[in-house]
Amino acid sequence: MALNILVVDDSETVRDIIAKTLMMAQVPVGELYNAANGKEALEVLGEKWVDLVFSDINMPVMGGMEMIEHMHANDLMKTIPVVVVSTEGSATRIEDLKAKGVRAYIRKPFTPELMRNVVDEVLGGFDNAES
Amino acid sequence: MQNHKALLSTVFREVIEALAFMFSEEVDAEELPASPEGYLRASMSFEGAPCGGLDLAVSRNMCPELAGNILGVEPEDERVMQKAEDALKELLNMVCGHVLTGLAGEEPVFDLTVPTIQSLGAAEFAAMSRREDVATLLVDDYPVALALNLSVEGQ
Repeated sequence: MALNILVVDDSETVRDIIAKTLMMAQVPVGELYNAANGKEALEVLGEKWVDLVFSDINMPVMGGMEMIEHMHANDLMKTIPVVVVSTEGSATRIEDLKAKGVRAYIRKPFTPELMRNVVDEVLGGFDNAES
Repeated sequence: MQNHKALLSTVFREVIEALAFMFSEEVDAEELPASPEGYLRASMSFEGAPCGGLDLAVSRNMCPELAGNILGVEPEDERVMQKAEDALKELLNMVCGHVLTGLAGEEPVFDLTVPTIQSLGAAEFAAMSRREDVATLLVDDYPVALALNLSVEGQ
């Protein structure tokens, strides 16, 4: 079952890296949406069906944390799993993110194997996606 | 003032190898080749314990190859030329995250700024690379200088 995925990062390079890594990891991607910040991401989420969100934290206009808070305030969006992709290594921040509902954390740089394992773990196997 | 050159060098080598499959070696500043095409410097700052900034200066010509390697396309590809500076900023971003872990461990939380890019002349690059606390490396024969600037309290 193909997954609709939203990638949220102000760096176009990172968005390309995530897209390429998903392909290398053989994650079955249906539609791949991109957003440069949390505000754009919320607009996409309001219009499109998304199975999984990959998001950075530090972004201009609206960062990842604020985006996640907005998602949790929305009955439909709060069911969409979010994986944070960041350069930070703070265990404190990672715990804080998970307490706010983030399902997993990937630290850059990352391998296709790690990406696949995280997607598999977060979605409970690709076949369990609801799209 | 504590010298973090070894940390900078180790982190940079590991990150660029994992990110872009580019291999680097630490060299003395005097061994760095000149870059007639000029240089770019990516900079960012961080707040936490400690506070400070990280500067990464590279040969301008290294950036398309960096972007090409990251994206898996030829350096001459139009997409690469458009994304070369963005690739440099992202390299700095990743290096910074890992440097901070090396400096402070995995507990402290840092707030990082979005990296910015400036052009750098030969004299400015030389002055930066000759600082005692600056890590100087060769990446596929491209000169690289990496400087960590900590606030006085963080040194």
